[in-house]
Amino acid sequence: MTRKSRLSEREPGSKPWLGWLADTALILYFVFALFPVAWMLILSLKPADQLFSTYFSFTPTLDSYRTVLGDSEGIPFVRFFVNSLVVSLGAVALSLVVGLPAAYASARWRFKGSENLMFTLLSFRFAPELTVIIPLFVLYQKLGLFDTYVGMVWVLQLVTLPLIVWIMRSYFADLTPELEQAALLDGYTRKQAFFRVALPLVKPGIAAVSLLAFIFAWNNFVFPLILTSSRAQTVTVGALSFLGGDRPKYNLTAAAALVSVVPPLLLALTIQRYLVRGLSFGAVKS
Amino acid sequence: MAELALRELRKTYRSRGRPAVDAVRGIDLELRSGELLGLLGPSGCGKSTTLRMIAGLETVTGGDILVGGASVVGRPAQARNIGVAFENYALYPPLSVAENLAFGLKARRRGARGSRGEVARKVAEIAERVALTDLLQARPAGLSSGQKQRVALARALIREPDVLLLDEPLSHLDAAQRDTTRRELKRIQGDLGHTTILVTHDQEEALSLADRIAVMKDGVIQQLGTPYEIYDSPANVFVADFVGEPAINLLPGISTGDGHARLSRTVSFALPVKVAQDREIVIGIRPEDLELSGGDGVPARVSAHEPLLESGIATLALEGVVRPLVALTGPEVRLVRDERVRVGADPGLTHVFDAETGDSLR
Repeated sequence: MTRKSRLSEREPGSKPWLGWLADTALILYFVFALFPVAWMLILSLKPADQLFSTYFSFTPTLDSYRTVLGDSEGIPFVRFFVNSLVVSLGAVALSLVVGLPAAYASARWRFKGSENLMFTLLSFRFAPELTVIIPLFVLYQKLGLFDTYVGMVWVLQLVTLPLIVWIMRSYFADLTPELEQAALLDGYTRKQAFFRVALPLVKPGIAAVSLLAFIFAWNNFVFPLILTSSRAQTVTVGALSFLGGDRPKYNLTAAAALVSVVPPLLLALTIQRYLVRGLSFGAVKS
Repeated sequence: MAELALRELRKTYRSRGRPAVDAVRGIDLELRSGELLGLLGPSGCGKSTTLRMIAGLETVTGGDILVGGASVVGRPAQARNIGVAFENYALYPPLSVAENLAFGLKARRRGARGSRGEVARKVAEIAERVALTDLLQARPAGLSSGQKQRVALARALIREPDVLLLDEPLSHLDAAQRDTTRRELKRIQGDLGHTTILVTHDQEEALSLADRIAVMKDGVIQQLGTPYEIYDSPANVFVADFVGEPAINLLPGISTGDGHARLSRTVSFALPVKVAQDREIVIGIRPEDLELSGGDGVPARVSAHEPLLESGIATLALEGVVRPLVALTGPEVRLVRDERVRVGADPGLTHVFDAETGDSLR
């Protein structure tokens, strides 16, 4: 839509300068929000010897990306990347398997202790990770879970499970129980009513919450920092390795960080159409 | 199609820290095969709980439910073969009308209940019955309330249930759709002859559709009978008050012993039965049974008249009587405020109730 048509659509008597003010504010915010990304992009494209030059002109090069993805410098970035994928996807998958039935049960029935259970789950989210990390570290050392995929997927349940249970609970609560009751009367079992009636209707919710949980798991820093060393280390911690050594390599860190943004971004774009909530509306006259 | 019987059916809700609630307190009902019974009562009277117990969606505290002579209380909902058309339709939004109808059949497909072709044939057949053929490919979101109700009915019918339960089938429809859907319901039920229970709080719905009506209050059936029996001889004040539009006039008075009820120093009405002298009673006169006449009858003053063209509703004040008297007037009657009239009632159409128990004394 062009500026002209927007102006003409405005109601007579409203002040046009208000619109310009809003636009200016939006542009300012846009610059503010994207500046760090743009700066990282520039940094990652600079040749190593011009890293600290303050003037803008430089010859862009993909050397940083080649170095990062080529596992040179002795840092197995590709491995970190694969680790992140395995651990994050694993955590989301496990949370879905465990969390969907839990969310459904807590939305449909009030049983003894159900509210306490739900609150306990929620408390995982507002307790800072640092408060539990030292005991966890000791436990993981003793149990042999330190620096393993299983250990990481397990600990990330603290991040993904409460999210999935709480959000999916409200999706299930919005579904009228009569849809499942109708299925029961049609001869379906309780299990079938869950899998064939309730679950398909909350698909948009599952897509949205899975994406969110994946991003949180992917971005988690403290758990992999303390509970992994090399075999199961993820990109968030791995990208920092480029800052170590005698000279911090900002260009490599920037390249690594940008590469590690790609999976959540791709996922968000592909899943976008499911994010629109409301497929289940119209089932019930509200 | 099978007969349905409820024996001493009870439901008590117990939850910790709260007193137990008796939602249904011993209901006895017998439905002949193919009969349509209306379960009529205000909200919270236990009628929906009764329906859910029959369907198997609610556990039974006591008593028995017999379908075709066999108890179904121990069986889960999916093993009872009872069709329910839910109040809010409960259609699966992502499925088309045809898929919604087929959904119920597919659950039993594994039980050798017919091939894909047979499912399609049954869907077409039932759609024809309830006039949905043109809408088979539509999604529920695109349907009107009346159409959704027909789909819900068709989905309940397609499995050929032994008993059909209708939960407030017309309550969400607007006036025009309600009339047409009601006629459709009556026709379809008559054609297919399912034993049916209709749960409703709307007397018009029950009166127009049901062969017999059970009026319910506080978990107890107050009266069971044909619509005419309910209307002509209500068993108690509650039934008299609940059935009839505009509502019956209920006026407290004292029996004079000579076949009259004295409402005030100057106003008395003749009674249809003999009642002991000085007994406190309530007389009930339906607005349509009151007659405005020039000659005999008790004097009254018009406090309001609502002309509704084909009839009118007059609100009258009787001398010394607190409660107003509502009378239905003919189209030719024109009244003005404060006009003096005389109003009379046929003793044969007057109802008498005990003031204390509310039971009919006729």
